[in-house]
Amino acid sequence: MLALDRWKLIGWRLLQFVPVIVMATFIVFGLMQLVPGDIAVTLAGENPSAARIAELRGLLGLDRPLLAQYGHWLWDALHFDLGRSMLSGEPVLQSILKRFPTTLQIVLMALSLSLLIGVPMGILAALRPHSRVDAFVTSVASLGVALPNFWLAMLLVSFFALNLGWLPATGAVDFLKDPAASLKSAILPACALAAGGVAEIARQLRGSLVEVLSSQFVRTLHAKGLSPSAILWRHGLKNVSVNLLTVIGLMFNRLLGATVVIEAVFAIPGVGSMVVASAIQKDFPVIQGVVLAMVLIVISLNLLIDVLYTIVDPRVGRA
Amino acid sequence: MTRSPDFPSSLDDTEQPLRVSRREMIGLITGAFTAGPSALAIAQGAPRRGGVLKVAAPANPSSLDPATGGAGTDHVFLFTMFDTLVEWEYATLQARPGLAESWSFTDPKTMVLNLRKGVVFHDGTAFDAAAVKFNLERAKTAPRSNIKADLATVDSVEATGSHQVTLKLNQPDAALPLILSDRAGMMASPKAIQALGNEHDRKPVGTGPWRLVNWSDGEKVSVTRNEKYWKAGMPYLDGIEMQIIIEVNTGLRSVVAGQNDYVYFLSPQQRAIIDRSKLGANSGPTLYCVQLYMNYGRPPLNDVRVRRAINHAIDRESFVKATMAGLAEAAWTQLPSAHWAFDKSLVNAWPHNIDTAKKLLAEAGHKDGLDLNLIGYTDQRAVQRQEVLMEQLRKAGFRVKFTNGSIADMSAKFFAQNGDGLLSAWTGRPDPSLTFSLMYMKSAYFNAGKAEPAPELTAAILASRASTDIEVRKRELSKVMKIISDQALVAPLFFQLELDAHGKKVQGYRTNLLGKPKFENVWLSE
Repeated sequence: MLALDRWKLIGWRLLQFVPVIVMATFIVFGLMQLVPGDIAVTLAGENPSAARIAELRGLLGLDRPLLAQYGHWLWDALHFDLGRSMLSGEPVLQSILKRFPTTLQIVLMALSLSLLIGVPMGILAALRPHSRVDAFVTSVASLGVALPNFWLAMLLVSFFALNLGWLPATGAVDFLKDPAASLKSAILPACALAAGGVAEIARQLRGSLVEVLSSQFVRTLHAKGLSPSAILWRHGLKNVSVNLLTVIGLMFNRLLGATVVIEAVFAIPGVGSMVVASAIQKDFPVIQGVVLAMVLIVISLNLLIDVLYTIVDPRVGRA
Repeated sequence: MTRSPDFPSSLDDTEQPLRVSRREMIGLITGAFTAGPSALAIAQGAPRRGGVLKVAAPANPSSLDPATGGAGTDHVFLFTMFDTLVEWEYATLQARPGLAESWSFTDPKTMVLNLRKGVVFHDGTAFDAAAVKFNLERAKTAPRSNIKADLATVDSVEATGSHQVTLKLNQPDAALPLILSDRAGMMASPKAIQALGNEHDRKPVGTGPWRLVNWSDGEKVSVTRNEKYWKAGMPYLDGIEMQIIIEVNTGLRSVVAGQNDYVYFLSPQQRAIIDRSKLGANSGPTLYCVQLYMNYGRPPLNDVRVRRAINHAIDRESFVKATMAGLAEAAWTQLPSAHWAFDKSLVNAWPHNIDTAKKLLAEAGHKDGLDLNLIGYTDQRAVQRQEVLMEQLRKAGFRVKFTNGSIADMSAKFFAQNGDGLLSAWTGRPDPSLTFSLMYMKSAYFNAGKAEPAPELTAAILASRASTDIEVRKRELSKVMKIISDQALVAPLFFQLELDAHGKKVQGYRTNLLGKPKFENVWLSE
């Protein structure tokens, strides 16, 4: 029964993918039209005449009606053809596939760091609310939220890369080619990204855990003679896991967005730097391609989180 | 990020250098600039072959095909893979033989180029007259060519021998040799272009010192030694890896951390970091001139008194100190003092004098001041310049308002006759006649108001292109600059200096006046 509910949920969500993707890519396409600028002017080279710019617009298909341009892109995308960059001529799909693992690696490392540090901090603070430990965790969390990640990134580079020379200051290494060097080059960007994540996880976990641990059923468990650790691990954490999953899902999406800044600071050739460069130049096939990839990732992750909800809290699936 | 050749992605990011002595350098520039420990130093010891130079490059190429690209930042990549028919002297930009061993004008409208023998493209095909004819005709006529205008004076190209081509011109054009030192003179393999089509943008085949290994978009361009290179013993480097790092502060950090060996297009404010980090620095004058373009085809700037008032109101020394930390040369014409055609009588042509400016403005009928609608760019440094300019002009009675946007769009807007002026830059051309033709002739793109130039200006510009005698050309160019100065057709502000930083093992780099780094002389010490 439960399994059937889960499959229905997955099927329903998959159906929702189609309008979400179409709407998201169309809105981004529409927004790009509102941004001033014309890629044909950029491409036209020296002293471009109006005729030369018009000729280029024709060559690039920019003289067609907007709906025709979007429709053409969508049709090709449905056939797994995301076109080529108008600036560099590189196939967009190839660029995304090449760059995405780098971005994903940083995001996953940042997420893991956030969990590894944030979860123990949150538990410690929740076990002794209003104690010194709690005050310390709250202070660290506030600092983590308040520090801009690009600033923290520059401090980390200055200290660990430029002064101590322990870690590289810029760039990324392919994980498959050299895993050790790849992890080494991703540590600083992941740490810079993780600061906010640690703070968020610690605060959210502390808040919900304090609430659960002070609820009546926990009092009953104490009365039954269950050990504090059994209460925490078997009952407390299980009850806050839905909250934690929600935070993780939201955080993943936000970390993905934050790579736009972090990749610039560390000169990392990921999708974040790619989308910035293409947005500035109005390279619409690239923007559309990256947006499509991002939307797919975000909604797939949301689906995964929803499915996980049904596992950790069976009531969700039935609701 | 790509940019228009004349309007770099930011007004700070061009470079240029040329190697001059420290004493000459100090004489050249205003302000407190001093060269760093290895700046301009001549490399010690004999050049050593081998090693890969790692460079932080501030822009992704727009294309690696010289004819189809459009960004001024492309040259640094192109120079590694392509030779030009004509080369230039690093310090002065005078023409010297390249793939063409010699050239001559048999009559004012016929140019004969004698080509070097024994040169092969990276794909093994021979470089000969047929290849040159193919390249020049493609540059003139291919739909995707961005350099049609460069060869506008060339009517036809004939192969008059296996290694000789003859260009028939529609008017005398002494600027042509140096035009052939730019994109138009970069020779690509006809076989590769025919086989690859548009893909040649990404897989270029030239005759240069290195050949392409890989261009990973927005990430890296790698080149490796051309074992069949025609210059004996060259190049020194086995290869170059150019990592695309758009943010120049990050680029500099990568050199400080030792991940890269070289970074170029740095801003003067980064000089302190270079010195603090004990890196080597290369700097030198460039043609890159930050200036206020004026639309003198309509009121109020069609009145020469108003244009002179603007120029007298500007305090160039203070401007350079405030906006460039003193690391720039005040500009009075579009040629810096190191250029072969520089005329020193034009220095301080418009002495800074607020009273003179006010008087001229009053004479022009603007006793109560004048509103000026200027156009500019949004980056931080551009806005800083706007603020200083506004304040300087305000003292003379100008009420300046700036409208800002992206470089490509705002430039297009101004040259489509919007606004009274544009605070931008002229990145220079190898031949000065081309600079003046492009900027001041009636139909010139950069003559925003399409105003009819004074007949003597047109005549002098044409005369500067008509003779191949350098002394005659100097004389005519001096005449051109004097007329422009007298008419105050522009308000030049300063010439930017190239500023590059490098690790200790980088040797032999020479700056050039064009300001587009060439790595052909670079070698790495042990």
